[in-house]
Amino acid sequence: MRTFIAIVSLLLMATGAARAHAFLDHANPLVGSTVGAAPHEVSLWFTQNLEPAFSSAEVMDASGARVDQGKAQISGNTMRIGLKPLAPGSYKVRWRALSVDTHTTEGSFSFHVGP
Amino acid sequence: MIYVRAIHFAATLLAAGVALFLVFVAEPAFRDGTSEARLPAILRPQLIGIAWIGLALAAISGAAWLVLTAAEMSGEPLAAMLSDGTFWTVLSRTTFGNDWLARFVLACLLAAALAPFRSERKTNSPLLKAVLAIVAAAFAGTLAWAGHAAGGIGLAALIHPAADVLHLIAAAAWVGALLPLLLMFAAAAGDRPSFAIARIATLHFSTLGIVSVGTLLATGAVNTWYLAGSIPALVGTDYGRLLLAKIALFLIMVAIAALNRLQLTPRIVQETDQTSAQAALRQLRRNATTETLLGAIVIAIVAVLGTLPPGSHAAHHHEQSGPVPAGAAFVHIHSEQGMIEVTIMPGRTGIARAIIHLWNDDYEALEAKAVTLTLTPPVAGSPSTTRVASPGPDEAWQVDRIRLAQPGNWTVAVDALLSSGKRLVLDAPIVIDAN
Repeated sequence: MRTFIAIVSLLLMATGAARAHAFLDHANPLVGSTVGAAPHEVSLWFTQNLEPAFSSAEVMDASGARVDQGKAQISGNTMRIGLKPLAPGSYKVRWRALSVDTHTTEGSFSFHVGP
Repeated sequence: MIYVRAIHFAATLLAAGVALFLVFVAEPAFRDGTSEARLPAILRPQLIGIAWIGLALAAISGAAWLVLTAAEMSGEPLAAMLSDGTFWTVLSRTTFGNDWLARFVLACLLAAALAPFRSERKTNSPLLKAVLAIVAAAFAGTLAWAGHAAGGIGLAALIHPAADVLHLIAAAAWVGALLPLLLMFAAAAGDRPSFAIARIATLHFSTLGIVSVGTLLATGAVNTWYLAGSIPALVGTDYGRLLLAKIALFLIMVAIAALNRLQLTPRIVQETDQTSAQAALRQLRRNATTETLLGAIVIAIVAVLGTLPPGSHAAHHHEQSGPVPAGAAFVHIHSEQGMIEVTIMPGRTGIARAIIHLWNDDYEALEAKAVTLTLTPPVAGSPSTTRVASPGPDEAWQVDRIRLAQPGNWTVAVDALLSSGKRLVLDAPIVIDAN
């Protein structure tokens, strides 16, 4: 009987389980957005807590030159990277995240500074 | 990696299982038996011996697991990682590394805590037994931080590891105790007083088994919810199907255990006819052997599961976080009702194709009945283009042959009528480059 209840309850479980692997949940500047004023830093929020020792991000301008400065500040599931003064244009953020569960993920997105 | 994990799981569960068997099954039975029984003197050194072998295997496989994981985490080749200080960073500055340091200490403590139980003299001390049980439970339970239970945020960070810790301890208490049980049966056949002790021990093991199975069911359900909490995740992913296999094997083991408890154990305990009781004991031994083999397969499955992305994750498509195709223009729009991603290929003036993805907050594809795409050029006053999207592969929608005449900040708007009846309308700027 107990077994039957267990099977049924397993099958009835709702969705909404956690994701194991840290994925980008949202960022500031928003992914794909255009901002009027040049931001001082890029912030990234992930779906899992990160290992600071092995997570990083770079920000590049349209020609591929690095525009981030300083070390990325990582705490919990958040990563912040300081930026040099940005001219109007297109920028690309490449991030690499090691989740506390030992799995690595990476990705990228763009944002734009301009009128 | 899978072999290293499997050996480590098996060795950990065995070592912890022997300890828990000693505290909760063997020693209580020894106390109730007479001093003429030869069983305790035979069994104690055997149990401590296999526990120490288990710990040695756990240490070796654990070291290998640590090195392999450190290499994966750092992305460096093995030799480089060991020589340039990265290995120490992993050990000292990551959750996994810290967990492994703690478990190494626990392994040493467990080896020491087992030592007094080799001979009869000090084994009656409740303090020594408590220490042994706690260290063994901690050694098994801390495996939780080597798997998918680590890294959650919010409520999941509390509940999932807690469930996993209890799951591991219960597995050690039941599966890890099967081998000690078999050893005990082998040693019990010699004389009547020994047989009497084996009877009592079987009763104690039954109770331990019932508590463990109940815990495994409850905590297994919690873990399953977090790692494969939907039918598509369970049947549509490798992870989910393996998990179903594990659950099926577990249920078979429970069925055998139930048979042992309800049919065989009473015959062993109550039968005054020695022949009949001995026959029941032999059957019990065969069943326990079968359970041990099934348990070994379950451990092998667990070893594989830890290397796969959990079903709740793999069942989704994750182009969102993958690199954007080279030359594409891409925008990801968030709202309370859902998320939309538009990829325009190529992202420059000319003729392009748009791929549209609709997700809910959990990165599951949203089903839609109709999707329309509107593109407004950068120059104010220019006419917009509205096109109806057609369903494409991979749960995406697409619009072909879009004419992008000007470079600059276009506005892309998506109007989706969802299958649920709701309408999702989102817009955002997207940059189209010059040719």
